[in-house]
Amino acid sequence: MSQSRADSAAETGLMRVPSERISRLMDLVAELSLSVAETVRSPDLEGLELSHFETAVHRLMMIVHEVQDAATDMRLVAIDDVFKRLRRMGRELERQTGKKIEILTIGAETQIDKLVADRLYDPLLHVLRNAADHGLEPPADRAAAGKPETGCITLTAAQVGSEVRITVVDDGRGLNRARILAKARERGFFGPDEEPEPAVLWKVIFKEGFSTADTVSNLSGRGVGMDVLNTTMTQLRGRIMVDSTEGKGTRVALHIPVSLAFLDCIILRLGRQLFAVPIDVVSEILRPEISAVASIAAQNGAEVYLWRGGSIPVCRLPEFFEGMPASAGGNVRACDQIMVVFQTAAGPLAVPVDEILDRQQVVMKPLDGRLSHVRASYGCALLGNGDVALVLDCERLMQGESAR
Amino acid sequence: MTSLAPDTAHPPAAPGANLGADMEADTLANMYLTFDIGTEEYGVSIADVIEIVGMQRIMPIPDLPPYLKGVINLRGKVIPLMDIRLRFNMPERPYDDRTVIIVMEVDDSPIGLIVDGVREVREIPIDRIDRHAQLGKTGTRQVIAGLGRLEKSVVVLLNPSVLVSEDDIRLLQEKSDA
Repeated sequence: MSQSRADSAAETGLMRVPSERISRLMDLVAELSLSVAETVRSPDLEGLELSHFETAVHRLMMIVHEVQDAATDMRLVAIDDVFKRLRRMGRELERQTGKKIEILTIGAETQIDKLVADRLYDPLLHVLRNAADHGLEPPADRAAAGKPETGCITLTAAQVGSEVRITVVDDGRGLNRARILAKARERGFFGPDEEPEPAVLWKVIFKEGFSTADTVSNLSGRGVGMDVLNTTMTQLRGRIMVDSTEGKGTRVALHIPVSLAFLDCIILRLGRQLFAVPIDVVSEILRPEISAVASIAAQNGAEVYLWRGGSIPVCRLPEFFEGMPASAGGNVRACDQIMVVFQTAAGPLAVPVDEILDRQQVVMKPLDGRLSHVRASYGCALLGNGDVALVLDCERLMQGESAR
Repeated sequence: MTSLAPDTAHPPAAPGANLGADMEADTLANMYLTFDIGTEEYGVSIADVIEIVGMQRIMPIPDLPPYLKGVINLRGKVIPLMDIRLRFNMPERPYDDRTVIIVMEVDDSPIGLIVDGVREVREIPIDRIDRHAQLGKTGTRQVIAGLGRLEKSVVVLLNPSVLVSEDDIRLLQEKSDA
C-alpha cells in the first residue's frame, strides 16, 4: 500500500508507527469529515446562489473522502501475521492430537484492518483446533478410508467487495449429522421430528455450551471455543457459514468487513430516536397497505406483515427496547409508517419507522462502559450533521423477536 | 477509586523514581472538582475529570436506565450522560444556563455527569477527609468516598466507579451512615 511513498523516504521502506497515533489520525479524519459536512450544510447558506462555492465544496468533499480512504488504508495489514501464528500452532496440534497435520495458507497477502486482525487469532485458533481435533481422523482411520495419512487444513483469505472472506477447510470426516441433530434436539433447539436444513443445523455448533465431543480434551470439546468465535464475529459484524460433507471434510467460512471504522448505512427515524442500519441488510423499504399488517391475539398481539406472498414477523422498536417512549410508534398504526424489511439469517423481519432520512457513510463508535448493555446494536454511528444514531444489529433484533 | 483510599499514601519514592511525575500525581490526588446538586456541594477527584462542557443537545439511546439520559457527540467522541439528580433519586429539574456536563474517564470509559453547576477546584488534604467503612451495612460498595471538611461546610466526595456502576444507590442512607 504505502510502499512506493515510503521507499523514497527511507531505504527500509517501512516505518513503525504506534497504533494509537493512527487511531488519533482516524479520529481526526472522522472529525474533519463531520465538520466539513457541518460547514457545507450550514443553515446560513440556505437560499444563496453559490456556484463557485459549490465547485469548491465538491472538490473539498472528494479530498476528504480520499483522506478518509488513505487513513483507513494505513490501518490495513496483511492477514499473513495471523496465518503465520496459526501455522506455528500446527506442530503443537500434531503433538496434542497424535495426528499428522499439514496447514496450508492461501491469500495471506489479503489486507485487513489491524483491529480486526488482532481479534481474529483466538476465534480462528478455535476453528483450527476443532478441525484438528474433531475433523481430522487419526492416520490409521485415514488410511483405511483411502485418504493420505496426513490430514490437511487449508486457511484461505480473499477480499470480496468490502468483505474479507476467511475459510478454514479440513479434509477430515465431516460433521456427523445424526450426532449433532440428536444433541440439538436434546438441547431443545429443534423439535423431535424436525429435520432442519444442513446449513441451519450446522449453526447450532456455535451455540453456547454446545459440544458433541464425548470427552473434554485440552484442545476442544468444552463447547466454549465455538462460542468465542460467535461472540467475536458478532462484535466484528461478521457472518459465519459452515458446510460439511460426511467423509470429505468441513468448511467454516467467516465473512468480515475489511474495516470497522466506516459503514455504509441507511438512517431511520422513529420518534426522536435515530437508527442506522448497514445497507446490505435492507431488502426493501415500502409503505404498507392497511390490510397488510395483522396482529395475532393468540400470540400476545404479535404482528405479522404480509410481504411477497408470505407473512413475516414485525418488530416494533419501542416494544423491543426499554425506555423508548411509546409515542415513538406505539400507538401509530403500522400503515401510517414506513416498513423496512431486513434480511436476517433467520429470514426477513419488518420494522416500522417514521421516516427514512438518508443514506451515508457513518463513523462507527463501539458501545463501551454503560452503553455496552444496549441490546441488538453494533455501536453508535456519528452522522454527517453531528447527530448520533444507534446502529441496529438485525440478527439480534430477530433473535429477540423469536424468543418472545 | 483507589486514589481516594486512605491506604494509598505514597511510600517514600524509590531511588531513581521519577520525582516530578510522582509529585504531580500527589497534588492531583488531593484536588477535587466540586459541583452543586440542589443546595449541597459534591466533589470528584480532579484526576478523573477530562473537561467541563456546557449543556448540549442530547441524543436519546434506548435500553438505558432513566438516569442515563442519552449521548452527546463531543468532537467525534460518543459520551453517555448521567443525570446525577436522577441517579440519586432526587427530583428532576429543568436544565438551565448553569447546568453543565462534567466529562470524566471512569474505568477506561468516558461518562458525562449532568450537574446543577460547577463550583471550583478545591484542595482537600487527606487528613480533612472523613471516611466511613469501605463496606456498608449491606456489604455493597458505597458511592460516597468520604466527607471533606471545609471551613464552614462539607463536600460529599463521590466514588466515580460506584457512581457509574449498575449498583442501586441509596444516598440518604449512606449519608446518615457517614
